Amino acid sequence: MQERRSPSRLAGKDATETPAEVRFVRVPSIAERKLGADYVAPMRLDPRVLEQMQTTIRDLETKYAESLQSQVAMLQILVEPACKGDAEARSRLYALAHDMRGLAGTFGHAIVGQFADSLCRYVENSRAEDWNDDTVVTFHVDAIRDALENPRTDPTVTMETLNALERLISAARRQRNAG
Amino acid sequence: MSRSVFEAMSILVVDDSAYMRHLLMTLLQALGVREVHLAIDGDEALELLQTSEPDLIITDAAMMPMDGFSFAHRLRSIRGRALSMIPIIMVSGHTDIVSVERARDIGITEFLSKPISARSLYERLIQVIDRPRQFVEAPTYRGPDRRRRDRPFEGQDRRNTVALI
Repeated sequence: MQERRSPSRLAGKDATETPAEVRFVRVPSIAERKLGADYVAPMRLDPRVLEQMQTTIRDLETKYAESLQSQVAMLQILVEPACKGDAEARSRLYALAHDMRGLAGTFGHAIVGQFADSLCRYVENSRAEDWNDDTVVTFHVDAIRDALENPRTDPTVTMETLNALERLISAARRQRNAG
Repeated sequence: MSRSVFEAMSILVVDDSAYMRHLLMTLLQALGVREVHLAIDGDEALELLQTSEPDLIITDAAMMPMDGFSFAHRLRSIRGRALSMIPIIMVSGHTDIVSVERARDIGITEFLSKPISARSLYERLIQVIDRPRQFVEAPTYRGPDRRRRDRPFEGQDRRNTVALI
């Protein structure tokens, strides 16, 4: 199969000619550079090292679980002031959800991470007036709290909750757009 | 026993989340990396790069005030220094195609989606350390070659003219 390419922006005015300024540089691999004669190609994933890394994550799990509990408690506290116009509370609420989105899944709280991701995406696309109605944010924070308290929830229920949150967000957007 | 490349490496981790910095640093140390530098955002990372030159950078995408995209763009824009060619792994919770393409177009070497796992991080590191892509220097782009697959295409193959550093 032949790839059809539109003239690249890189190619300058005439895509069929190599602009003099374009240069391809072959970079030696870091492994080769660092190991010299000891370098054996190709480098492969070492199961023992991977196990060591996974143990490291497991060791951090308990500490993270404690921190997650206090973060969720803080989220609940922040909902009200955030929805009443407190910019600082909004910013902290987003920062907490953003942290959960990035970290919860790594430490075995994938569902918390998914709800936090949904909340982050809502906040990222929200306008100031969206905060006047606290329904979407409150429901997300409740879902996060429930996911943390009931980690063995049926995945179907989780999926349904995520869908419900999506519908809630869509309805809120429609309402906003309708004026 | 053979030497591990990780023991000889210096890695800069840029993330505004203290927990994420700690996690990445601990995982890198578990891999054997002895020299891990930490920065809380792009500004601090650029400042750090004035005095040290790591072999690799792992950066978050969403940070304040300077995010990972601006940081990578600034780094790639530095002319005449090997520093601008350091491999960059971007870690991000934004895995939509727009974000991934944006990262690619500013010269990110590898993209790692959050939540990270030990395996995904390890695999990306091997990719960057052992299988580097040639570096492209053009008026509108500086970064690793964005074409990963060797497929036939129309037009001149400009990749035949490779300089070796």
